[in-house]
Amino acid sequence: MDSKSRIFFWLENLLFFWIGLIVILLIGGKSLSIPTWIQVIGRTHPLILHFPIVLLLLAIAIVWIPNSDWGKTGKPILVLGANLAGFTVVAGLILATEDYEGTSFSWHKWLGIATFFLSTGIYFLLKKQTQSLKIGSTVLAVVLVLTGHFGANLTHGDNFLFEPVLSKEAQLVAFGDAEVFRDLVQPIMEAKCISCHKEGKMKGELRLDKIEGIKKGGETGPFFLAGDTENSLFLQKIHLPLEDEDHMPPKNKAQLTDEEIEILRLWVASGGSFDQKVADLNQDEPLFQLASNRFTSEKTYSFSPASEDDIEELNNFFRKVKPIYPGSPALEAAYFGASTFDPNSLSELKSVKKQIVRLNLNRMPLQEVDLGFLQDFTHLEELQLNFTGISSSQLKSIENINSLQSLAISGNSLGSESLESLKKLSSLRKLFFWESNLTEDEQKSLQDALPNTKIDFGFDGKGIILQLNPPKIETEKIMFDDSVEVILSHPIQSVQIRYSLDESEPDSISSLIYSKPVFIKGTSTIRAKAFANDWIRSEETKTTVFRKGIQPKSFMLAIEPNPKYKGIGAETLFDGVKGKANHTSGEWLGFTDSALEVEISLKEGQHPKSIQASLLLNEGAYIFPPESAELWVAENSKWKKIEVPKPKESLKAEGARYGFLNFLLPEEDFDQIKIKLKPISKLPKWHPGAGAKGWVFVDELFIY
Amino acid sequence: MEKEILENGLNHNRRKFLSRLSLGIGSAALGSLLIPDLFTGKKEAEDSLMRALPHFAPKAKRIIYLFQNGAPSQLETFDYKPLLQKNFGEELPESIRMGQRLTGMTAGQKSFPLVGSYFEFNQYGQSRAWISSLFPHLASVVDDLCIVKSMHTEAINHDPALTFFQTGAQVGNRPSMGSWLSYGLGSENENLPAFCVLLSRGKGNGQGVYSKLWSNGFLDAKHQGVQFSNSEDPVLYLSDPHGMSRDQRRKMLDQIAAMNDLSYQEFNDPQITAKVQQYEMAFRMQTAVPEITDVTKESDSIIKLYGPDCLVPGTYAANCLLARKLSENGVRFVQLYHQGWDAHDNLPNQMIGQAKDVDQASAALITDLKQRGLLDETLVIWGGEFGRTNYCQGKIAPENYGRDHHPRAFSIFMAGGGVKSGIVYGETDDFGYNIVENPVHVHDFQATVLHLMGIDHEKLTYKHLGRRYRLTDVHGNVVKDLIA
Repeated sequence: MDSKSRIFFWLENLLFFWIGLIVILLIGGKSLSIPTWIQVIGRTHPLILHFPIVLLLLAIAIVWIPNSDWGKTGKPILVLGANLAGFTVVAGLILATEDYEGTSFSWHKWLGIATFFLSTGIYFLLKKQTQSLKIGSTVLAVVLVLTGHFGANLTHGDNFLFEPVLSKEAQLVAFGDAEVFRDLVQPIMEAKCISCHKEGKMKGELRLDKIEGIKKGGETGPFFLAGDTENSLFLQKIHLPLEDEDHMPPKNKAQLTDEEIEILRLWVASGGSFDQKVADLNQDEPLFQLASNRFTSEKTYSFSPASEDDIEELNNFFRKVKPIYPGSPALEAAYFGASTFDPNSLSELKSVKKQIVRLNLNRMPLQEVDLGFLQDFTHLEELQLNFTGISSSQLKSIENINSLQSLAISGNSLGSESLESLKKLSSLRKLFFWESNLTEDEQKSLQDALPNTKIDFGFDGKGIILQLNPPKIETEKIMFDDSVEVILSHPIQSVQIRYSLDESEPDSISSLIYSKPVFIKGTSTIRAKAFANDWIRSEETKTTVFRKGIQPKSFMLAIEPNPKYKGIGAETLFDGVKGKANHTSGEWLGFTDSALEVEISLKEGQHPKSIQASLLLNEGAYIFPPESAELWVAENSKWKKIEVPKPKESLKAEGARYGFLNFLLPEEDFDQIKIKLKPISKLPKWHPGAGAKGWVFVDELFIY
Repeated sequence: MEKEILENGLNHNRRKFLSRLSLGIGSAALGSLLIPDLFTGKKEAEDSLMRALPHFAPKAKRIIYLFQNGAPSQLETFDYKPLLQKNFGEELPESIRMGQRLTGMTAGQKSFPLVGSYFEFNQYGQSRAWISSLFPHLASVVDDLCIVKSMHTEAINHDPALTFFQTGAQVGNRPSMGSWLSYGLGSENENLPAFCVLLSRGKGNGQGVYSKLWSNGFLDAKHQGVQFSNSEDPVLYLSDPHGMSRDQRRKMLDQIAAMNDLSYQEFNDPQITAKVQQYEMAFRMQTAVPEITDVTKESDSIIKLYGPDCLVPGTYAANCLLARKLSENGVRFVQLYHQGWDAHDNLPNQMIGQAKDVDQASAALITDLKQRGLLDETLVIWGGEFGRTNYCQGKIAPENYGRDHHPRAFSIFMAGGGVKSGIVYGETDDFGYNIVENPVHVHDFQATVLHLMGIDHEKLTYKHLGRRYRLTDVHGNVVKDLIA
């Protein structure tokens, strides 16, 4: 015998070895006592089984390949496959002693055995490539595939193969219908426990796929003790450390989440009932709160969904139609863009009239539009018609919609004629009816007619008196040559703006009424306030505009200003730039240790009548009017002092603002002017810095 | 003859090539069965995402987030602590401070004297919530509010804290909350952006806001917040130039689209179609925006409700009114920022000014949404980026004091949109320093907001640089107690 024939010889013999072993194991059945090391062989079953499947199918394929040499290729593969099938069956029978039963199991077992015997039979009996070989191999293929299928069902669960194509409608459980066991506890067991504790694979003699099994418990005792979380067996096992051998679910399986553990614990604590309804639980109970987060409070709808194409067709830039949440047959529709609204497009909604539960037509111009189509919307629950310009007669179209629960008709000024239709809407739970144009009595009668409806009449502003915001003063420029246009405005169209140009505070009686832009020719302060009925007059706004003076021949400062506030030097005084009301803006000259003293030489032919110093005042920042002012004029360098009034003292701090000092010039001829402004040497007693030196800030001199 | 041989060879090759090709085509056809929209030209990935969202029935459809930038003090708004008034000037016990890090502004301070609110507190509404006298209008709508007194954050300075609140991370490269929602839920109204930003500024000490706060991060640029201008023309460059009619504009866009289509056929760059879509969006916005931003048609009662400032562009009140109008027209997320709450000194005075800016208009927005039946579907959020210390920063006097930044506990409120109304959630200790009950982290807040919009915060992800990102990073728990 050559080595090749020897291998065949041994392989053929081995087949009989398997036959013997299988018969023994079958006879022994459950009564066999399997030592642990043999159990290891049993557990190789799920690994080994793949080899015979491949080899046997390969051999079967060779049968069907024309011109193939059965003897040289098919038979060696078949004998190898048959042997491995034998080993697999043996290992399987050993494994079967570990808590397996059920229909899937029996089918798998007997079909597996049949696979082995069939392949062995084919090997010995059908030696040539004949018709019978073809038939035999086909039978073997069928048996083999079925064995595999039932095996897969055992490990992965029934319907494993066809699950993806079987319809699995997501069961949305409404809160009111939910049961603690059926909808909270059982889903957890199905997901995490049942793969090992079920008919056919009762590990620890426990099955959790039937309530009876849960009640009965397993080999070590009852599954749980109602109300006793400490001693309930399964809770103990769940809480064992992951590394512990008895920890459930086993380490390599999907573990329970904290929330799931909590649900199981609370279920036992609450008595482990099998028919308790969630809604009947006490609201303070943790189980109720856990449950309330799990079930949809959304209503579920029983009508059939619209076709996806119909829905898609209705969607465009100005209309959105979509399910109220994914998977719901109920639709919501909304219109956008009043200027592009086409009333005819409403009739297109008819294709989904049964499914629409919410319709938003806010701000769409619906005057004169026939709303009769709404009567066909048999499931309409929420209708928004704010600011649509609808009239009371159009409301008749909705008075028969019994499903309507929420209606918004704000901003339509419907008035008392709407009452008749509205009072019929007894199903209504919410009515939004702001700007209803109803009297208080009418509002009350509507509420009386609809006792179960929450009506929001909104805010009417009646009796509320607020202060207007101040008007706005706009000018093109603050410093002008001849005249400047001043525009006053207020965002509320109905207000009256009154103003003054003479430093007086504007009032509602004697002040000028603003109607059109004002042209101002001289330096002036515009003070304005807004007035309106039912409003408190506004605060004042004021702006000063400055007419530019003449430009002298030359001018010089006797003493430089404080180096921190030196502007652009003496030029600052005649640069035509009005400083902002902020002494650090760089547009001001500031003096504290010395006085501002400026000598001005006039051009020939200039005969000014007055001179004005433009000041900044801000007592909080120590900036005061000057303590004293001196004015001198000179003709041919002969100086002469002109008497001027003492500048007005500040009596309190008022914040940063502009101030002026106006001096009249004498009538006689002169060609030079000198002005001297001395800062306050001691701040008054009322000031926090009493006794300290003050400042004088000047940004511009105007010579008129 | 040679020619025939050659042709035969070619034919033979062609036949072989074709037969093999048919096999290839056959297998490709089979494989294509797995790609359902291969021939309809839809972007499958994005579409399936959109089909899956929201993940469950949403409670709110839109959000208006009134961000109080600079951090208003919880101790002068919603967290009433009489102990601080009683123990005025006493040292903050170390047992309460527990080594809390300080900002550079008070780290050098030798003493931490407790200072109580200068403003009185009273209880209001059915909920008997405490609200300071600075907010009489909010007090009048207290039963619509869901006040959370137990917010806490990780950052202690404005920029990281703001960025954290808006993007879920302190470093500014992530998408803003509005961008995530735009990405997840899209726009309700396709004629307007899904995410709009409105800015205003009070007189109080301010901290800037930057465009990174409403950035799309790594998401598509179309999800970035559109900042409205404070001028009378809220969307700049939207109106047609003088002399251009709408027809001419339409023709121009059609021509440009035709040219873009040519280059699309050449390069197949999806950016080209995106550009065309943006032109079309702008064209539709040209009619949609003026319809919305026109406030002249608002009734007198609305002006009284929000206060007359609502007609002055750029004020908080005007932005609240505009926010209502945008939201009402289907803008998914309107983000307001009101700056000026950073009262390190002179707090009582600054608070008076800031409260005057926001109190009436914030309450008005809630009332206004309610009277239109929109509050149920619109979530309004009001709050800053952190809280302020219970001890004084700088000089202390009962009527003049300052407060530094405090991340450990602060208050915000929400209203409408599926949150419980008329509740106060969480509690701080008697010093108002630490949370003692129901803490809500910024990520928890974000998870809750997404939940209200029907989104599972763990599932709204975007893959970028090899990992999946989400608004809540790897944290966040939905605070179910806040949900109605």
